[in-house]
Amino acid sequence: MNFTITRKNLHQGLAAVSASIPTKTTLPVLSNILLEATDGQVRISGTDLDVGVRTRTPAEVGQEGVLTAPGKKLQEIARELPDEPVQVTSQGDQIELRCGRSRFKLNGLPADDFPNLPEVSFEEGWNAPGQVLLSLVQHTAFAVSTEESRPILNGVLWELKDGQMRMVATNGHRLAKMTVPAGSSAQGGAELIVPPAALQQVQRLFEKENEVHVGRDANHLGFRSGNTEVYTRLIEGTYPNYEQVIPKDNDKWAVVDRESFASAVRRMAVVASDQTHRIRIGFHQGAMRLTVLTPDLGEGEDEIEIQYEGEPLEIGFNAAYLLEVLRYMDTEEVKMGFKAPERAATIEPVRPDGEEGGVEYLCLVMPLRLLD
Amino acid sequence: MSRTIHVLPDAVANQIAAGEVVERPASVVKELVENALDASARRVEVVLEGGGKRAIRVADDGWGMGREDALLSLDRHATSKIRKAEDLRGVATFGFRGEALPSIASVSRMKLETRARGEEVGTGIRVEGGRIADVGDVARTRGTTVEVGRLFFNAPARAKFLRSPAVETRAVSDAMTGLALANPGVAFLVRSDDRVLLDLPEAADLPERVAQLWGEEAAAELVPVHGEEGELRLRGLVQRPDRARPGFRRAHLFMAGRPFREPALLQAADRGYRTTVPSQARPWIFLELEAAAGSVDVNVHPTKAEVRFGNRASVESLVESAVRRALEGEESAATFDRELPRPRLRVREGGDGQNGGVSGGESESQMALFLAGDEATEGDEGRAGEDEPLVQGTLEAPRLWQVHRSYIMAEVRDGLLVIDQHAAHERILFEEIMEAYDGGGGVSQRLLFPLTLRLSPAECAQVEALSGVLQGAGFEVEGFGGDTVILRAVPHPHPYFDAERSFREMMDELTHGSELVRSARNQHERVAMSFACKSAIKAGQPLSDEEVQELFDRLFATELPYHDVHGRPTVVRLSSGELERKFGR
Repeated sequence: MNFTITRKNLHQGLAAVSASIPTKTTLPVLSNILLEATDGQVRISGTDLDVGVRTRTPAEVGQEGVLTAPGKKLQEIARELPDEPVQVTSQGDQIELRCGRSRFKLNGLPADDFPNLPEVSFEEGWNAPGQVLLSLVQHTAFAVSTEESRPILNGVLWELKDGQMRMVATNGHRLAKMTVPAGSSAQGGAELIVPPAALQQVQRLFEKENEVHVGRDANHLGFRSGNTEVYTRLIEGTYPNYEQVIPKDNDKWAVVDRESFASAVRRMAVVASDQTHRIRIGFHQGAMRLTVLTPDLGEGEDEIEIQYEGEPLEIGFNAAYLLEVLRYMDTEEVKMGFKAPERAATIEPVRPDGEEGGVEYLCLVMPLRLLD
Repeated sequence: MSRTIHVLPDAVANQIAAGEVVERPASVVKELVENALDASARRVEVVLEGGGKRAIRVADDGWGMGREDALLSLDRHATSKIRKAEDLRGVATFGFRGEALPSIASVSRMKLETRARGEEVGTGIRVEGGRIADVGDVARTRGTTVEVGRLFFNAPARAKFLRSPAVETRAVSDAMTGLALANPGVAFLVRSDDRVLLDLPEAADLPERVAQLWGEEAAAELVPVHGEEGELRLRGLVQRPDRARPGFRRAHLFMAGRPFREPALLQAADRGYRTTVPSQARPWIFLELEAAAGSVDVNVHPTKAEVRFGNRASVESLVESAVRRALEGEESAATFDRELPRPRLRVREGGDGQNGGVSGGESESQMALFLAGDEATEGDEGRAGEDEPLVQGTLEAPRLWQVHRSYIMAEVRDGLLVIDQHAAHERILFEEIMEAYDGGGGVSQRLLFPLTLRLSPAECAQVEALSGVLQGAGFEVEGFGGDTVILRAVPHPHPYFDAERSFREMMDELTHGSELVRSARNQHERVAMSFACKSAIKAGQPLSDEEVQELFDRLFATELPYHDVHGRPTVVRLSSGELERKFGR
């Protein structure tokens, strides 16, 4: 195999792929990337077995062939090379790079050892505008569970139905749900549970402006945009019935300035327990009173103005959960809804009428028990 | 009509008294050695022949007696130690009833030789079954020697109850061990026939005496105990929890140089050990009490093996709290070191007697653990001045490193700590949950998706019975009919917490019991122990740097950071000194 490629193309291709390579692995071939030179292009692939990334980049291919080479080293070399054409040649399992007067030889592994990326058909799939997909991911993926006890919650639920596209994530303590119109491109239904690591790659690699093609087979999902593809296995199982836990009967509503709310919570969090992050929030007519009392540390209190008409109510919250949710609310004001101190509280952005554009965003935070 | 009631002759009365005081050679030795100690002896020699049945000789270098005193000492209730009934309340000496010597004399052939300072010639007295047979001059150095021959020669019924020489010798040896521990400043020599049982030179303090008796290694396993409450003072040594074993224990209590028995105080000390040793373990305990005159009655028993405290509850609580405090410190941690220094007892004199002083010292010794310590040694200061930022940075906090996803290595001022992450987290959770009970309940996170669990009928019954206590620990659980329960809210002790598994394992343990939960004092403690054990971070859990730091900080914020709730160590120390020895530096 040999091909000549611009330094820029080589480096971009390697940079896209190498982030998907595991840093520590018991399977040595996974720390390598796969280079496949075919007609006028080079395909670069890397995977940690859960998520795979493949990108294509133009090159002058002298002789077709495949080989693997240490991904991180190759990327570092490409980064430091002078801006001149790079000539890549295979010699058995070794790879040789020549660029200007620089020359490198790296040991690779037989290409047959490299795991196959799943073959996902994009023909049967659907399209989503990059901006929509990225926004869905950004607003929900933070809420996935990192506990290993319920693997199903380690993924983001991606639903397509009734002309809507929706992502939901939860760790059982708080939940984020976003719904957007699916447009004409995504017809039919789907219910997928996607590992967040794949969605991170999507966020990292894909541009807002580009359309993303999505394809799937029985237990894999593929994303393609431009020259780059991301593949992932799907998490199997049934996602819990999240609709059931979203309160429908919340009858107390508070409208709060997001920024001043977030900064008050941050202040309280300083004195909250490092472990539970518990703070206490009292809702009163026209005012929200935040307090924190941590034995062995101290206490704090703060007050901000809010719009609130209901009965006074005190709820305990994990400050970290509130801050996360507030970070992804992109409006000046947010609306909180409650029923009782031991029931789920909802948080939604407040948009001027007519500006929703069919986008619905709702977060839900379960309270912490308060002691009197 | 002839009278039927007679006053007994002295000789008979003495023999009766002897029945109380003099049971066997060991009690003779004890009485005579206590007399020697009361006479300010610096060195006491005890020689046994035939296990003490043939002869017992106790020689001291104390004050000695003049001839008149010597003769008087053989009369009942003749004593130099008290004069009137009020003196009884503040007895500082071992004996005082004036019964011992005449009692012993009445049941043996006794030879007493003594010379007081200032006298030119000593006095020798021979007594046969209580009757003075001979008084004469002897030449000897200052002090007293009492030789008791043919014990119980005139009381065959009692002689019959004496055991074999080996058994009697052991009893003497045990009695002498107690006295030697209580009086480390006195040299003791105990011989049985030609065998030397104890040869103890004068020791500076209790730790040195322990080392003389059982070796340096045994002494190095002990940690000092100090306590004070009102007019009560306590000091002594207790065994490091990681060295405590089930079965035989050495436990000695003293007061004013006198060993005494009081099972309740040993139990109090064991309570101080709670959760730091396995329930079967019996740590060694050496405690010396000092009480104000009047608050203690030592005249409970003729042999004075027991004492009675005016306020026993406060003595017990002092013992318990002092032992517990001793286990808070770094000295009580397990260690890799082969050679350890002996523990040092604080000298009592001076202003450190107040409670404030004691706790202040405690916290200082804990601070000294960290490199961040406030006072660097002079050498350190010099170095820190030369290349500031780097060294300064490393002095900020101990460097921590997780190894094998199970242990945390911490660099500290004088070496290295190896922390077991699971054991450490158990201790943290246990103390936090017990604190939470006092404060009304632990933090509880309500679940979006309540967990529905099927349990065995016995476990369901247990859930029902414990629901209040479980709620305090953060588990909001209710029956759902049949063998199903619903968990609506759970605690959230760490990000890797698996509420369902933890709860299932807890209910299994609480229903079927385990050594751990059997050691608990009440339901709250049972649940807290089980929760701590089942919910703590497991070995094999990778932790981020921040998590490692937080675990370390929280561990050292607990009351007993060096011991987990199973009685295993959380921390094993490796001192710089040991490292240097290993590398031959």
